[in-house]
Amino acid sequence: MRQSRTIAAQAMTGLMRERTVMLVAVMFVALVFVSAYLGWAATTTVNAIYADASAYLASVGQPVPPNPVTEGSPLAILRNLSVYVSLIGAFAAVLTGTRLIEADRTAGTLPLMAARPLERVTYARGKVEALGRATAAIILVAAIVSALTLVVMPQVRVGAADWVHFVGFFALSWAYVMVFGLVALGAAARFSAPAAGLLGATVVWLAVTFVLPAITGNVTPTAAINPVSALAAAPDTAAFQLLGDLFGPLSLSESYKFISADLLGYLPDGIQPRGLIPPLVDLLLALGISGGIALAGCLALDPNQGGPDA
Amino acid sequence: MTFAISTQGLARRYGDAMALYPLTLEIEEGEVFGFLGHNGAGKTTTIRMLTTLLAPSAGTARVAGHDLATDPMAVRASIGYLPENVRLYDNFTTVENLLFFARLSRLNAPEAAVDKALTFLKIEDLANRRVGTFSKGMRQRVGLAQAILHRPKVLFLDEPTSGLDPMGVRMLRDIIGDLNAAGMTIFMNTHLLSEVAKSCSSIGVLSHGRLVFHDSMEAVTARYGDESSLEELYMSVAPDEAAA
Amino acid sequence: MPDFSPILTIAARDAREALRDRFLLIATLALAAAAITSLATGSLALHTDVATYMAAKDTLIALGKSASAIASPEFWPLKLLRGTVEQLEIMGAVIALVAGYRAAVSERGRQTLALILTRPLRRWQVLAAKLLGGFFLAATAAGAVTIAAAILLELTSGVGLMLSDLGRLTVGWAAAVLYLSGIYTVGFALSLWLRSASAGLVYAFALWMLMVLVAPQIGDTMDPDNQVAGGVFAALSVPKAEQDRIKAGFATYETIRNDIEISSPTKHFERFTFAVLGIKDTYTGKPLGPILTEKSGDALFLILFAFGLGAIVLLVPINPDRLTKEN
Repeated sequence: MRQSRTIAAQAMTGLMRERTVMLVAVMFVALVFVSAYLGWAATTTVNAIYADASAYLASVGQPVPPNPVTEGSPLAILRNLSVYVSLIGAFAAVLTGTRLIEADRTAGTLPLMAARPLERVTYARGKVEALGRATAAIILVAAIVSALTLVVMPQVRVGAADWVHFVGFFALSWAYVMVFGLVALGAAARFSAPAAGLLGATVVWLAVTFVLPAITGNVTPTAAINPVSALAAAPDTAAFQLLGDLFGPLSLSESYKFISADLLGYLPDGIQPRGLIPPLVDLLLALGISGGIALAGCLALDPNQGGPDA
Repeated sequence: MTFAISTQGLARRYGDAMALYPLTLEIEEGEVFGFLGHNGAGKTTTIRMLTTLLAPSAGTARVAGHDLATDPMAVRASIGYLPENVRLYDNFTTVENLLFFARLSRLNAPEAAVDKALTFLKIEDLANRRVGTFSKGMRQRVGLAQAILHRPKVLFLDEPTSGLDPMGVRMLRDIIGDLNAAGMTIFMNTHLLSEVAKSCSSIGVLSHGRLVFHDSMEAVTARYGDESSLEELYMSVAPDEAAA
Repeated sequence: MPDFSPILTIAARDAREALRDRFLLIATLALAAAAITSLATGSLALHTDVATYMAAKDTLIALGKSASAIASPEFWPLKLLRGTVEQLEIMGAVIALVAGYRAAVSERGRQTLALILTRPLRRWQVLAAKLLGGFFLAATAAGAVTIAAAILLELTSGVGLMLSDLGRLTVGWAAAVLYLSGIYTVGFALSLWLRSASAGLVYAFALWMLMVLVAPQIGDTMDPDNQVAGGVFAALSVPKAEQDRIKAGFATYETIRNDIEISSPTKHFERFTFAVLGIKDTYTGKPLGPILTEKSGDALFLILFAFGLGAIVLLVPINPDRLTKEN
């Protein structure tokens, strides 16, 4: 077995035996079910409101506009998922990235590995592989639950093109959570203090989710966690234009929500992405940079620090 | 004469503080070397440099014939290391822990190596139990197993008797004897004079980062009488520590 | 009468440690920065609205029409605090949680806890000192944010803050102290009670997510009006009276939605402060007295949240043997 495979396999087994990691993973899956329910409940309610309203409009002789539910893509009922991925999904990835390193540190096995013929870059590759597989697993579960929801719901008709978008959305979600997982992995490797990885990556995640959208488009924090309100147009001024250009590329949650809304078909008309870089390029760049952070963290990892033998 | 370990002016500085002054030391193949010294004398710093965990500030060293600076991977392939406080992965069984390290040591038949180590250390009964439930002594033996899985040429033990009960200490001494008889060179940090007297073929004494004594156990016995008078030697070469 | 001197001794030591610890300073600065950012961008957006109004007014006057055809934007400086309050709700909560975790870790596993517990004092006194420390931390951090926001409002809004505004800010600050103290207690308790402190931190984070983000988010997104960009009723052009009639048909759904929202202390804090500061349109410009009466339920919830959790922490026995043996 290749050394990086050995590291990844051991790390995956370790993660599956950690109660805290499993709890957060289960929480994410539970919220995927909640999201499916919310999609169903909201769709049914809006449908019922539409029926009521169209009866009223017809009775007063006014034209009846088309039903907003049937107008958009059937995938739009999954829109809450983009919020849960950016909240719990990202948090699960942060926790996983942190534990992948901290498990070795608390077990005191870093010196044992460092005193073996193992290149540091191989260690990093094994850990990144484990992170990738762990986050892919939870995203896959989310995809399966969502696919079943779409198949089961009677009013929804999903075409072949929709399924392509569906796959694209989950691939994108995986890439998005990986960004935070990789930052956490790099921070946990670089800093040996307990919970340093968790806290460091959480600060980045908080800034990306709640502060940057306020700067680029005056999106308040609670609007940032509503899939529809998060897509507000920035106030039309030179100042916000400049702020958007400057901070837009850093505002990853907005890039993710923009592409998600586009793929799931609930992007309001006329909304432009923030910043000068297209959102997909922005996310791919972020993935590359966070991979670099993880690698740099692992290369700078000091096996003598932080363990029981420190 | 072939040396298992040889250092030339090996030194380590932390900021302004000198943890190890230039150390020149030669340890022959097949020796059991006891490295004595008070807490903070620089013993662990030395072991960490010799096991490639810590870069020296100055000097050179060769371990099992390989240069520490130019060929660290070859050094790593030739050594085994047991840190003072070994914990291992609590959620994994003994076998799972050992298989992991056997694979990282690139062994062709990791399962066979693990079985052999379990038998050698007489811990077959611990094989499928999770390490998290183990006492200090049990962990120490599993830790020793991971250090000898790949039959290293040089074995580094950092305070191996720390926290062990008298039975554990005795068992460890027997194991060290058996490993040495099988041809392994052993470098052992300790501050237990009695252990050095019973296990070692040569000793070095480190005081405040300086090597103040290095000779064979035979020579020590000849000079200071029987093994029990090792304390006298220690007091004479590191009097302030002995008084402290 | 219980002896409070050991509590003060421990709390004073904790305070000294907190002052020497860069964490508190950096966290408070980060919170203030986030809160001020939201205030600044909100202010910027308002200036845009005013500029748009002025331009429209000029156009109308140039065309010889009356400017009264368009409504002038009303300006209430405290309304700009929406983003600031929301940052306290979310970021402030994270910081309070981590501060609680650190308060537990600072004793747990270190032999200092063994040293304290073998002195002639009661267990609850040690815990009370820790909670008191959290209360002061919350008061300091929320105070710093409130003062910074008030100064910025005074400087940038162009409309001076009135004495009544300062009164409202003080009430808002008190609500923030209760809210943040409660969350601090959650972080402290979980990090103290659970198998390991870091597991406690993870559970606390998970709880934070459910309490601060998910419950209000579910309530928010279940609102049919939030399901369609711009609002479902606006999209269908249904008049207000008819909207109310239709909404009445969904009373059960609305009750469930509301119940999910109010299971979260965050929502109570938000509803209370949004009303007191006049951020929510219904309360803008109304006198403080009636608002406080109307929102006494939310205030009571916050009081029970902070002090109730504190009481639970004092009552639950700790296991000093386990907590002092870790490494």
